[in-house]
Amino acid sequence: MAFAWKTAGLTYNRYLAVASRVVRRSLKEDKRLAAERRGEMDLRFAKWENGKQGENKPLASANEQAMADAASGSQQS
Amino acid sequence: MLSRAARPALRASAAIKPATAVAPNAATYATLREIEGRLKSIRNIEKITKTMKIVASTKLTRAQRAMNESRVYGQTSDQVFKEAETKPTEGEGKKQLLVVCSSDKGLCGGIHSGLSRYVRRQFAEGNQSYDLVILGEKCKAQLGRSNGKDIALSFAGVGKDVPTFADASAIADQITLLPGEYSSIKILYNKFINAQSYEPTVVEAFSEEAIANSPNFSSFEVDESLLGNLREYALANSLYWALAEGHACEQSARRNAMDNASKNAGDMINKFQILFNRTRQAVITGELVEIITGAAASEE
Repeated sequence: MAFAWKTAGLTYNRYLAVASRVVRRSLKEDKRLAAERRGEMDLRFAKWENGKQGENKPLASANEQAMADAASGSQQS
Repeated sequence: MLSRAARPALRASAAIKPATAVAPNAATYATLREIEGRLKSIRNIEKITKTMKIVASTKLTRAQRAMNESRVYGQTSDQVFKEAETKPTEGEGKKQLLVVCSSDKGLCGGIHSGLSRYVRRQFAEGNQSYDLVILGEKCKAQLGRSNGKDIALSFAGVGKDVPTFADASAIADQITLLPGEYSSIKILYNKFINAQSYEPTVVEAFSEEAIANSPNFSSFEVDESLLGNLREYALANSLYWALAEGHACEQSARRNAMDNASKNAGDMINKFQILFNRTRQAVITGELVEIITGAAASEE
C-alpha cells in the first residue's frame, strides 16, 4: 500500500480524525473552541462473548491499542 | 361476618390488634391529609415533566439541525453507491451485522423498544443469522436479555449530546476491527418522519466485495486498493447519519412523552382538587351536624 498511514496501521477514519484534529488546532481561538467540541468523543464499549458482557473500556484508548497492534503486526509480516 | 369467619388467619390478626379501628371522624381527616399530600406530589411531578419538556424542545431544535447537516453526509455517500449500482452480496451462510442505533437515556416513549422489536422480528423471520452491535444502553438492556449470545459489541455513552463525526468514525473503526466476515452491514435507526412519528429503518453499508462487484463502479476510475478506505469511510458516514437522525427522533419523542406526562398530571391534579374540596366539604358538614345535634340534645 502506498500510504504511510496505512503501513503505520491506521484506518482511514483514524487518519481522517488525526488530520481534522490538526486542522481544528490550527484555527483561531474563538473558532477553535467551537470546532474542538465537534471533535470530542467520549464513548465506552464492551465486547460480548457467549451472551456475557465483557469489561467496559473507553473506546479511544482501545482504538489506539488496536492500531498499534495492527502496525506491529504489519511490520513483522 | 361470613367472610371473616371463613378466614381464621384474618380473625387471629384482628384479635391481636384490636386498636386498628379508629373513630371514623379521624379517618376522614387522615384521607383529607392524604389527598393533600398526593396533590402536592403530583404538582411536583408536573413541574419536573414540564421542565424536561422544555429542555427537550430546546435540544430538539439543535438535534434537528445536526440531523439535516448529517443527512448530507449520508446521502452523498449513498449517491456514490447508487451511481455505481452496488448491490449487497448474497453471501450464502455468511452472517450479517446489524448495528442498532439507540441511546443511553430513557423517558422518551417507545422508540428504543421499537428498535428492539424490529430486531427481534428480524431474528424471528430468521433464515439469516445476524450479529449485533448495539449503540446505547437502552437497547443493550432490552436485547441483552433476549438475544445476548448474538451481541458482538456494545457501546455506551451515546446520546449524551448531539453525536459527532468523531463518535461515528471511532465506532466504525471498532466495527471494522471485528473478527469474522460479514456479507453486509445493516444499520438500524429511527427515521425521522415528522415531530410525531418515526419508524425503524435500515441503511445498508456494503462490504468491500460488494463494492468491487458493482456494475458501474469502473466509471469512477478508482484504484482497487482504495476500496477498503472507501468502505470504512462510507460506514462512518452512514453511522453518523443514523446516529444524528436517531438522536433527533429521541429528542422529539422525549418532548412528546413529557408533554403527555404533564397533561396527564394536569388531569390528575384537577381530579384530586375536586375530590379534596368535596371531602373537605363533607368533613365540615359532618362537624356541623354533630355540633347542632349536640346543642339540641343539651338544651333539653
